[in-house]
Amino acid sequence: MILPFFVIIPLGAAFLISLLGKKLKNFADLLANLATFSLLVFSLYSISQVFAHKILVYKVGSWIPPIGICMVLDGLTSFMLVTVNLVSFLVTIYSVSYMEKYTDKYRFYTLFMLMLAGMNGIIVTGDLFNLFVFLEIASIASYALVAFGTEAEELEASFKYAIMGSVASTFILLGIAMLYSYTSTLNMADISSILSGKPVNTIVGFVTVLFLAGFGLKAALVPFHGWLPDAHPAAPAPISAMLSGVFIKTLGVYALCRVFFNILTVSDRLVFVLIVLGLVSMVVGAFLAIAQNDIKRMFAYSSISQIGYIIFALGVGTPLAILGGLFHLFNHAVFKSLLFLNSGAIEYSVHTRNLEKLGGLNSRLPITGYTSLIGSMSISGIPPLGGFFSKLIIIIAAIQAGYFISATVAILVSIVTLAYYLKFLNFTFFGKLDELRLKIREVPWAMRLSMIVLAIICVASGLLIAPLFKPFLESAVNVLLLANGYKEAVFGALK
Amino acid sequence: MNIDFLYPYFRLDGLSSFVAAAIGLFSVLTIIYSFGFMRNRHGLLAYYTYIILTAIVSLLAVLSNNLILLLVSWGFLGFTLYLLINMGDENASSAAKKTFIIVGGSDALMLLGIGIIYYLSGTFQMDAIKISFTAYRLPLSVTAYLCIAIACFAKAGAMPFHSWIPDCAKSAPIPVVAFLPASLDKLLGIYLLARISLDLFVMSRALNILLMLIGAFTIVAAVMMALVQHNMKRLLGYHAVSQVGYMVLGIGTGNPIGIAGGIFHMLNNALYKSSLFLTAGNVEYRTKTAELDNLGGLSKAMPVTYISCLVASLSISGVPPFNGFVSKWMVYQGLIQNVTESQSLKVTSLVCLVAAMFGSGLTLASFMKLIHAAFLGQRTNASTGKQVSEVSWQMWLPCMILAIICVIFGVFAYQIPLKYFIFPAIPGVGFIGIWYAGLSTLLIIIGLVLGILIFRLKSLKPVLRTDTVFTGAETILLEEENKVTGTEFYNTIKELGILKSIYNKAEAGFFDIYDQAKIVVFGIGKYLQYLHNGILPTYMVWMLLGMIGLFLVLRAH
Repeated sequence: MILPFFVIIPLGAAFLISLLGKKLKNFADLLANLATFSLLVFSLYSISQVFAHKILVYKVGSWIPPIGICMVLDGLTSFMLVTVNLVSFLVTIYSVSYMEKYTDKYRFYTLFMLMLAGMNGIIVTGDLFNLFVFLEIASIASYALVAFGTEAEELEASFKYAIMGSVASTFILLGIAMLYSYTSTLNMADISSILSGKPVNTIVGFVTVLFLAGFGLKAALVPFHGWLPDAHPAAPAPISAMLSGVFIKTLGVYALCRVFFNILTVSDRLVFVLIVLGLVSMVVGAFLAIAQNDIKRMFAYSSISQIGYIIFALGVGTPLAILGGLFHLFNHAVFKSLLFLNSGAIEYSVHTRNLEKLGGLNSRLPITGYTSLIGSMSISGIPPLGGFFSKLIIIIAAIQAGYFISATVAILVSIVTLAYYLKFLNFTFFGKLDELRLKIREVPWAMRLSMIVLAIICVASGLLIAPLFKPFLESAVNVLLLANGYKEAVFGALK
Repeated sequence: MNIDFLYPYFRLDGLSSFVAAAIGLFSVLTIIYSFGFMRNRHGLLAYYTYIILTAIVSLLAVLSNNLILLLVSWGFLGFTLYLLINMGDENASSAAKKTFIIVGGSDALMLLGIGIIYYLSGTFQMDAIKISFTAYRLPLSVTAYLCIAIACFAKAGAMPFHSWIPDCAKSAPIPVVAFLPASLDKLLGIYLLARISLDLFVMSRALNILLMLIGAFTIVAAVMMALVQHNMKRLLGYHAVSQVGYMVLGIGTGNPIGIAGGIFHMLNNALYKSSLFLTAGNVEYRTKTAELDNLGGLSKAMPVTYISCLVASLSISGVPPFNGFVSKWMVYQGLIQNVTESQSLKVTSLVCLVAAMFGSGLTLASFMKLIHAAFLGQRTNASTGKQVSEVSWQMWLPCMILAIICVIFGVFAYQIPLKYFIFPAIPGVGFIGIWYAGLSTLLIIIGLVLGILIFRLKSLKPVLRTDTVFTGAETILLEEENKVTGTEFYNTIKELGILKSIYNKAEAGFFDIYDQAKIVVFGIGKYLQYLHNGILPTYMVWMLLGMIGLFLVLRAH
């Protein structure tokens, strides 16, 4: 059974790194990369497990749920595991060179591994309170990582992030407590089956709002997004890549999906709320992004906008829309982490992220330049890259479902998206190179490698959508379409 | 060539086959030209890769019979165009950005249009779609049509989505301009416009009128802008916009002869416009400038270039017996035929006819200025010196081939291009040339006379002053005041009352959809930025307000 390893490996690595990292040179680099690599292998292996068994349930300590805690492996879980561990593996490779400029690299890896343990835990757990515990582990590790540079800017961002994040966690905890008081159980499948026997009443509605606000804040949906534009740029580039790439999706989107699609029910009003939140985030994020001059800030706002697309697609709720939404989630994880890694490479070489002070870097940093180009084109939805197809599927699904105005808004936002990514490329890689920068060199190989791999995935996810990604995505979509069938699936697997 | 085994993803019919052939021709000529022009530049591998990719993907776009496939290849072309423009001069990156925002943005709208088509017809297969504008679902079908038409307009450069072309013409490498905005993008844009207007949708009268008005407006407005340009490439860029008007107008007439004329004009325009851009490239290559003020008297030094440019200029101005004449004449015929139709169509057709004639006259006037300023007149500093001689064969050969084709397509219009390319593409074109032939010819002659008249009026004074050149003692005076470049020919137009303010606004980007959208978007962005003041309590208040909103919406029901 592979499920516990997703938590054990990063937790163990965090422990070992904090213990030995200071004494043994390169130990932290090596162990962290080994850990994320093995996690990637395990997560890829989990795909075959899902295709073979549909659903697998692991009983922690052999306690039978709902008394004990269980871990569930289904299509959605393995989809998220692949996304998260793929990005984290490439990010740790990148960190080997990038984090050299910080002292206490081993502390960075310790926190990184803790955060990863939290994220993997959220994904695999089948217990609502357990989910909250992992969510707190991941969140607290991320507060520390945002402050890792310990400059004024980082500390301020981390403070804001910690306050808002704690408020959100409190809401989530409150929601879980209320659900517990109502159903007397914490197991997700069990809650779902008990709720389906009871009439819908105020408590469920109240819990819905608490979860929406809590997970919505983690996902940085407007108007719960205030922390993100400060926190994501302030973190070191690999962490920005993790935060924007997978963190907000795991703690926000995945948790929302699991809670609303599989535990609670998706009512018409909730659909309306999801679509409105999605559209507002999309629009506000895009308009704010185009006004920025700091590269990472622009990308951070862009994350808000793209999360809006995902939530919008989930709100539309047809099988095709959910497929598009999840595909966009995967694509966004890939190209947004790529772009943040690019911004890190730029900062590494020229020590600034201000667009007005850059220009013409393409001649000196060709690999950074071309990978940025691919990432930007993919997120702007230029064919034949991955982002184009996820956008295409979302739009077509929205039109098929009759959301014409919303689809038009999504299209117009994508034009703005194209505009600000072209602004980024234009100011950074094209145009005139500053004469002082004629001597700068391309970044070290470890950083190049992870950027190249991510760029290749951007291209591959577009070209190979039908043969490679469709079955993989469909198994994840089917889990969300199960809705209340989730409980039967889990209980069925237990027997 | 039989590609039936690829059906239903690809399909070859009368329309797509000759567009595909034209794409092949232009690709080959551009590559030959680039061997000369792009020599000694950096990044040649990337350059040729992009050019060849563009050619292949354009073929895919034209041959595809599936809307998604079309959209993918169509969108990819915007991307290669962006990369190619970026290889130009120091302003190229902003021109590339502007181009890609307009073209890529219109592709996004096309996606919306295709989504709606799929909703209405349930298929992506192009030859299985036939949407008519009935009262039921009218807003949807019209939106779908307009979305795709906007993509065509942006690609081809019809107003108001034209503003990238003059910028791009000025900054991008010349072979790129001749290849994409001048020929391939026109072919593709008008091809798709014809495809949706003829096959995918059953046109309604209102949409025809809209197309015709857009066409007529594009012709006149762009040619007016072209008249006052000082940069040869920018001038040609505005003409590239203006000519699109004839094609849109032709397709808008809605009758076979007009549509055939529009499509023939698309082919002709690609021929003479790329020839013009390539000759402009030759001039720039030798003199290192494209400013008409600094050019002059190149006809002796560069005879082949001069002849090619002259043929292409006469062709674009619609002078018989060149090809531009034939296609314009067909478009006029189409318009005249509409006179027998209902009142609204009749009035529009007449208005458009007058506008098209007027535009044709102004085109001639504008090209007289160009020929005079660059090739005739007297030699300037930039155009003297040893290095100013005829360019290498790789560079003059494509110009000459194109010029020869211009002549052949004009003289033997019925025997070759119309018979083999155009009529097979357009079903239902009968024998043409009977209706009102006399009237059309008369109108064209009027247009020509008008052009010559405008040219005469404005050039009279400077031409007389050329005498002072030979006195020898007044060189300084000559440099500054009496220099005869031809660029001032039409400055008087600029000063005419109402036109003056229009020109001023046009130069300030008032009519540029890109600049206007930029103001709006940044305005909203700045306001939102003002709201994001970075103060934690503000953000907490938003969160609270958000929760209150959620409670209100999700309260127990």
